[in-house]
Amino acid sequence: MKQVYLLFMNSYLRFWKDKVSVLLTFIVPLVLMTIFGSIFSGSGSGPQGIRLAVLNQSSSPVAKQIESSLDTMKNFRVIKSFKNDSGKVITFDTLSIQEYVRTGKASAALILPPDAYSDTSIGLYVKFYYDPKNDIEMQTIRGLIQQVVFSQFPSIIAQSGLRQAEKFLGIQSGTAFNRDMASIVHKYFKIDTNLILHPKLSDFSIAGSDSGKNKSNFFQNVVRIEDQQLVGKEVKNPWATRSVGGWAMTFLLFTLTASSSSLFEERKSGVLLRLLTSPVSRVHILWSKYLFNMSLGIIQLLFMFFAGWAMFQVDIFSNFFNLLLIIIAASTACTAFGMLLAAFSQTRQQAQGLGTLFILSMSAIGGAWFPTNFMPATIQFFSKLTVVYWSMDGFLEVLWRGVGLISILPHLGILFGMGAIINFISIRQFKKGHIFD
Amino acid sequence: MSASMINIQQISKKYATITALDAVTLEVHQQEFFGLLGPNGAGKTTLMNLLVGYHNPDSGTITIDGDNVTQDSLEIRKRIGFVPQSLALYDELTGQENLEVFGKMFDIPRKMLMEQIQEQLHAVELYDRRKDKTKTYSGGMKRRLNIIASLLHDPKVLLCDEPTVGVDPQSRNAIFEFLISLNKQGKTIIYTTHYMEEAERLCTRIGIIDHGKIIALGATDKLLEQLTYEETIAIIKNPSTEENKKIFEKYGALVEEDDHFELKPVKRFLLSEFFADIEKQGMQYSWIELHRPTLEALFLQLTGRRLRD
Ligand SMILES: Nc1ncnc2c1ncn2[C@@H]1O[C@H](COP(=O)(O)OP(=O)(O)OP(=O)(O)O)[C@@H](O)[C@H]1O
Ligand SMILES: [Mg+2]
Repeated sequence: MKQVYLLFMNSYLRFWKDKVSVLLTFIVPLVLMTIFGSIFSGSGSGPQGIRLAVLNQSSSPVAKQIESSLDTMKNFRVIKSFKNDSGKVITFDTLSIQEYVRTGKASAALILPPDAYSDTSIGLYVKFYYDPKNDIEMQTIRGLIQQVVFSQFPSIIAQSGLRQAEKFLGIQSGTAFNRDMASIVHKYFKIDTNLILHPKLSDFSIAGSDSGKNKSNFFQNVVRIEDQQLVGKEVKNPWATRSVGGWAMTFLLFTLTASSSSLFEERKSGVLLRLLTSPVSRVHILWSKYLFNMSLGIIQLLFMFFAGWAMFQVDIFSNFFNLLLIIIAASTACTAFGMLLAAFSQTRQQAQGLGTLFILSMSAIGGAWFPTNFMPATIQFFSKLTVVYWSMDGFLEVLWRGVGLISILPHLGILFGMGAIINFISIRQFKKGHIFD
Repeated sequence: MSASMINIQQISKKYATITALDAVTLEVHQQEFFGLLGPNGAGKTTLMNLLVGYHNPDSGTITIDGDNVTQDSLEIRKRIGFVPQSLALYDELTGQENLEVFGKMFDIPRKMLMEQIQEQLHAVELYDRRKDKTKTYSGGMKRRLNIIASLLHDPKVLLCDEPTVGVDPQSRNAIFEFLISLNKQGKTIIYTTHYMEEAERLCTRIGIIDHGKIIALGATDKLLEQLTYEETIAIIKNPSTEENKKIFEKYGALVEEDDHFELKPVKRFLLSEFFADIEKQGMQYSWIELHRPTLEALFLQLTGRRLRD
């Protein structure tokens, strides 16, 4: 046991010394995730001419402002009316606008209801209807609309929110909130934060955790976008979850394949021989490798999800325990996959070549990059045979649907089960294999 | 004769179709510096791997210091130091870190390990480079590190598998001195090589191995007595000596090399007679050398082949 621990620590020492590995494990996936994440978040210039049905029932100036911002955005082709069967042009109402989306004539609809904003209301309230068939496009649209809505923040806050905030939360957390909000707005929309922060309130202290809680309630109240997915289940979290989970899974597989096939390097360099001629057995080597890979996988996934939380506000904390369970299960299964490759390959190049092939196809059909329900039924059948599918589905269950332990038991069972079966096969192979000869 | 330290009984080892070791029996005594001399592919490394329990033999038994050696006997390895033929070091780690990583596996108390590391680094003059990554070391430095990495647990037995491959003569000498001093301190050493000069210089007893079999075994000088002739006479090749080579054949077997003849005497004769004879023929020669008998010659006699081509 002591030997396993020493070898395990030794693996970390070497991992840490190998800056390329560290870069590939943490920084590269982070950069890719950020690039893809921000494409979908709409903070880039994004796509053009998305058909968006808009109905403004509110008379408030803020609503008017949002409407006209949407009008001027190149990303959207704003549609406010439709032609009926007899060719007559009719302005949308709440029912016809939904029908319009349902029949696929527009990608989504935005309704600013009569009570969208008032002097007495605490924030803004809009309704958003969409067809989730095209998941990626939806993410883009949501991002863009959020951008428009947030860009109205300075005026919302300045006009009344500030007063409301102070009244509602007490001066301290109100100012803390404004400070946070200002920095977010500044960061993402390049708006001068002085517009937001009231000069007399700029001298603030940091709010305690209690008021921090209120702060997030307050935040939700200020801009309340009511989503209504017209088809399928309710989706609570925005676009970023899939991007984060997907990149995390793909890179997890790459990391663990690389790490497993480093066994070849250790054999070639003779260190395996040296270790195995000191008081170390093959079983020690394999155990330490498994444990190292598994823990590295868990760290990498956690890192990616924390990054997703920090950059894209993916809500990882409200269901953190269950998320952690899926992370552990995913890491276990992926470790097994990497070790299987090492067990059956003859050289490092072979392991990594095969690995890349499998990883890319598993990521694609397993739903790491786009939802599996885009795919033909036969492929969807194969999706369910991949580690990626069950990990991704697990992440989405936990993060989007916020489900409890019972609902993810199948995922955990399947992932751990896959891990156990694959490990069984690879350990048999290691026993008779060439790697220790 | 002192007590037996390593006892190898009838061990055989096959790889697929190749018989790497064929019923080898060998005993090495306490504090002996034993040389295992053999050409490439003779089975030296295979034997070493079995001695340290990296592989199990197909048949036969090995005991070291009274205990059976198998793949599962991890305890016995604390009494064995093994210097692999290939450099077995982590390139990305420093010399010091390499030693720590490998030393820790032997369950040495930390303080003692650190002292050992420092001492050994000094002994092979690597102390100043201990904080550099080993990939920046020269070949000779890596070899030296490779050796001391096997010494940190102060083993009774040291198995060196061609530890000086690719080292220049000067560094090689330093390594020899180091190994000799270890032997003097009481370590039993098995040293494999295909350089007979190394074996002759270092080892008190030698086994010659070829095709997985020990073909000669004994104290170095005793081995040489097995030679049917005691020395060879080398004669430079030139038109004159080539023309008169018949004369040499009176004295022994003549082997033609690229630039010289090698005369292997088959009977005793006086050199003065020999020289008188060739001078009488008016032979022109620029040099004639007498060579003392070598293990190389013994190998040639036993196998009809040279140790190295
Ligand atoms: N892992 C292996 N698989 C198959 N054959 C092997 C293996 N290791 C060694 N052999 C074969 O066994 C024989 C003995 O090899 P070994 O490495 O013991 O020779 P050696 O005396 O150490 O040679 P060298 O001086 O070149 O190091 C050779 O014919 C070699 O090809
Ligand atoms: Mg060898």
